Amino acid sequence: MLLELKDLIVSYGPVQVLRNISMQVRKAQVVTIIGANGAGKSTTLRSISGLVNLKSGSIHFDGQRINDLPANKIVSMGISHVPEGRRIFPDMTVEENLRTGAFLRKDKTEVEKNLKDIFNQFPILRNRRSKNAKTLSGGEQQMLAIGRALMAKPKMLLMDEPSMGLAPVIVDEIRKIIEQIRENGVTILLVEQNAELALNLANYAYVLENGQIVLEGPAEELHDNEQVKAAYLGI
Amino acid sequence: MQTGLNALFAAAYLSLVAVGLVLIFGVMGVINFAHGELFMLGAYVVVALYTNLQMPFVLVVAIGLIFVGLVGILMEFTMFHPLRDNPLGGLVASIGFLMVIQASITIGFGVRMEHVPPVTQDVIILSEKVRLPVQRLFVILSAFVCLTALWLFLKKTKFGWALRASAQDPEAAMLQGISTRTVSIIAMFIGAALAGVAGSVTAPVISVSPVIGHSVIVSAFIVIIVGGIGSLEGAVLASVTYAFIHTVITTFIDGVIADIVGLSLMLLVLIIKPTGMFGTQDRV
Ligand SMILES: Nc1ncnc2c1ncn2[C@@H]1O[C@H](COP(=O)(O)OP(=O)(O)OP(=O)(O)O)[C@@H](O)[C@H]1O
Ligand SMILES: [Mg+2]
Repeated sequence: MLLELKDLIVSYGPVQVLRNISMQVRKAQVVTIIGANGAGKSTTLRSISGLVNLKSGSIHFDGQRINDLPANKIVSMGISHVPEGRRIFPDMTVEENLRTGAFLRKDKTEVEKNLKDIFNQFPILRNRRSKNAKTLSGGEQQMLAIGRALMAKPKMLLMDEPSMGLAPVIVDEIRKIIEQIRENGVTILLVEQNAELALNLANYAYVLENGQIVLEGPAEELHDNEQVKAAYLGI
Repeated sequence: MQTGLNALFAAAYLSLVAVGLVLIFGVMGVINFAHGELFMLGAYVVVALYTNLQMPFVLVVAIGLIFVGLVGILMEFTMFHPLRDNPLGGLVASIGFLMVIQASITIGFGVRMEHVPPVTQDVIILSEKVRLPVQRLFVILSAFVCLTALWLFLKKTKFGWALRASAQDPEAAMLQGISTRTVSIIAMFIGAALAGVAGSVTAPVISVSPVIGHSVIVSAFIVIIVGGIGSLEGAVLASVTYAFIHTVITTFIDGVIADIVGLSLMLLVLIIKPTGMFGTQDRV
């Protein structure tokens, strides 16, 4: 097991937003969390990254307990987070954004090679490399956010609604990108409101409601589940 | 022409103070009310080591830079870090700190104006009417060197990028492995050190007293509010530009008018574009 969450409880003030979440992610798999607005999907990812503190429970990554480490240590262990809403650095250039993703890396020549790979994967970013990131379109910004996370050379990628607010054509491109990342052996924990997309990409899925896991199973099974169809696939 | 040179001189040290203030605000989100006192401390380093102990001036300026920078780090540890979730608390604490510094300096040196003997009396005569005292040239050059160094730091170095990234989106910066604590400490050191250098290099040209911090801080505040806080480099440019305009008005027309112009601009900016004239982005 690459990532293991056990009985996570998280609250913002008096409000409990995660109530006993347990999850497992195997190496080289894509696992998805689907759920409605406010279900606690982002909070789950944010607790893995060390952006929010647990009230109780534990998180293990690669056999090591990480839930009391600061965010920068968690990055250095190999977890990169593509946050909800992209959160690129608007007044830095595309290239600076990407290089910031490699902040902790010491292997300079490898970083250069990585940067080249990412420019090959996202040619649009190469064309815009010295433009400020805020001048990019939504889809390009999403690619930049993904590229920035990949620059850390992560073992695992946390992705929070990468398809949010994007046109269908672009969503399709994002899908291909995620597939390619998976082929490169990076484990992915994908949060999506677009359940169709998520269940097609994932090996395994969790359904989150009100801070609790109400359903879990192999993605194809959930895709055919009547409950899921009605609530999330709009069929 | 002569007034232009005077304006350049005043803009030089004012922009050092303002840029430091804006750097601290941009990275840590706190307004350091004691920033003028850091300028004052820099001047008193010169009084203590140069006037009294007669150490070489350039060495004293270097000590002023490092010493005041370290005071900045002390402020981070004692106030801004413990109060990191409470920007208003940080501001209030910095007002307290301001009083502590002023009181300590008054106890140590008295309230008298200190006259720092000029390092050199040389004057560069550019023409019959235009004279540039070397002492003032030194202030201008120091500002130029410090600001260029800061610019290169922000644009070319890894930690400079970390500072800019943190100023633009602290949480996203953390997700890249950047430690906000480290970044805060760096910002405090640089911000304070710039004010300290400004105080040190100008000490021989002004009358040094425990209250000189006030006169620079008001102008510095106007500078950063008008300049805005979009990106750090933008703010640096804006501070320098505005500091220059402000001092030009002060020297050509009148200081009060410059303040009025500045304050009106500030009001206008706050009404029309709360992120600042050159600012581009809201803080998250
Ligand atoms: N900083 C915060 N302070 C207080 N409450 C918060 C905070 N962040 C999130 N919440 C609340 O916690 C709950 C879970 O939020 P979370 O962002 O994890 O949901 P989500 O599943 O990601 O939703 P969405 O699909 O809208 O992104 C919501 O009810 C939200 O209002
Ligand atoms: Mg969310």
